[in-house]
Amino acid sequence: MSTVLVVAPIVIGNWPLISAAVTTAVASLGFALASDIEQAQTQGTRGKTRAEIEVPESEILQEAAGADQKIVVERDGVRATFSRDARGALRVCMEGQGLSKAELRRIGQELIDRVTQQYVYHRIMTELNERGMAVVDEQVAEDRTVKIRVRNW
Amino acid sequence: MAREEIEIEISPSGKVTVRTIGIKGKRCLDVAEALARIIGREESRELTSEYYETEVHQRSQDEIHLRQRR
Repeated sequence: MSTVLVVAPIVIGNWPLISAAVTTAVASLGFALASDIEQAQTQGTRGKTRAEIEVPESEILQEAAGADQKIVVERDGVRATFSRDARGALRVCMEGQGLSKAELRRIGQELIDRVTQQYVYHRIMTELNERGMAVVDEQVAEDRTVKIRVRNW
Repeated sequence: MAREEIEIEISPSGKVTVRTIGIKGKRCLDVAEALARIIGREESRELTSEYYETEVHQRSQDEIHLRQRR
């Protein structure tokens, strides 16, 4: 072995790139896109607990004005709304009935972690592909760590 | 022939460890750094003995070459 680098991820990209990572990641946690966002919004928030989580190391690049930069997903009555906040960071608003703020935050953090992992995976695979490197092995460990082995020489 | 590979680990929270195997000298850094740049912010870096051995070996070869030319 000759070099080991440890890198903290920064989620940066335009909304289509981020939303693709969100869609793939949340599906792996059993969340589904809210079939009718308008209907979901009219259900109201009475009796529901809310928790908001921002992804500090993130930047969603500004798209054309008016573009809808929001994804709403649900699982067992828990709703997560991913959006771009005023500072341009990725924000997740969690809502659910009968759950504490702490529980919602835990679920929200799990979603964010999975989105970040999916984003990083996508960036790495795109880069490796562009460099013509061959993935010789890929595994997902029990703790969900993704291990990729690459060769090109 | 020595293995020349890169191992990449993506933790459940998205933190990445890039480990080069058998890629000699500065070449390993170029590839690892390129990956680090597109992922985010480098937190730590460790150069293991092979990196230095290779550089030393290369220097020795250069010195021999220079001595032969004198």
